[in-house]
Amino acid sequence: MEHFSVKTFKQQLSAKKISLAFQGIFSQDVLALIGKSLRNTPDSRVIAKRLFAIVIEMAQNIHHYSAEKQYSEKDGRDIGVGIVAVAEDDQHYVITSGNCIDKHEVPPLIERANYINGLDADKLKAFYREQRKMPQREGKPGANLGFIDMVRKSGNPIEINIKDYDDTRSFFILSVRVNKEL
Amino acid sequence: MENFHIDGSTYIPRIDFNAETGVLELEGESYHEYTTEFFGPIFSWLEDFLEQAGREVTMNFKMSYFNTSSSRRFLEILTLLEEYQNDKEGKVTVNWYYEENDVDMLESGEEYADDVELTFNLIAY
Repeated sequence: MEHFSVKTFKQQLSAKKISLAFQGIFSQDVLALIGKSLRNTPDSRVIAKRLFAIVIEMAQNIHHYSAEKQYSEKDGRDIGVGIVAVAEDDQHYVITSGNCIDKHEVPPLIERANYINGLDADKLKAFYREQRKMPQREGKPGANLGFIDMVRKSGNPIEINIKDYDDTRSFFILSVRVNKEL
Repeated sequence: MENFHIDGSTYIPRIDFNAETGVLELEGESYHEYTTEFFGPIFSWLEDFLEQAGREVTMNFKMSYFNTSSSRRFLEILTLLEEYQNDKEGKVTVNWYYEENDVDMLESGEEYADDVELTFNLIAY
């Protein structure tokens, strides 16, 4: 059996300029650690906080909604499994998450993302406030504001890629670019 | 009535609600995974506190980060206070502190100020 090569892995990460990557259970403690490590990334404190905010929203989506779950001893419940990575190019930080979702959840997610991507800044703000006033959705721990917040904080549309995973699930990849210049 | 206190931690804000002075403070970071559970006791305390009419209440938010789920809870707190002012002769002042240059935290404060009819101060520190 061929062993996993840390060296090759490190070279791949370096080539893609990946500064942070986590794969596994997105427990509360993992979130806190990722958050802390991100705070010092870029020069601007405002941009650091935006990266942090987007990563936390992605991580919490995985925690609550990933269709692949594992039991966390510490949290005392099943928690979502997925991947979050932060990379960069010359102009942007690129934050990407990946996790399984049920196939039937794909169309509404794409529809919502397209709708949000189509709004200008003022409409986006109005939509955020309108959604925040709505009552909490039954059985959904999130606020249903994550996508809107990501677009507002990044100033760019969110990008979605869907890959086949198995008969009932798709692999959902979400990317957000954050401009390095304010 | 007892005061309400929670020590802050990495993802939990410091909470200091003083029943005698009416000064209610939330400070730090808020991104607990289960905000409904976390904020449950906070709302219970607030509802008891707001039973008594005519209180003078100062609500201080001094947050450095909060997630979207907490943002919804904060609006619920402000809405409770707005109802208190309208229905129970309460006098409510909200102080929204934001770190100087934190344009996003300032904007969050401005949006809350627009969402509720309360005396709302935006204060840079």
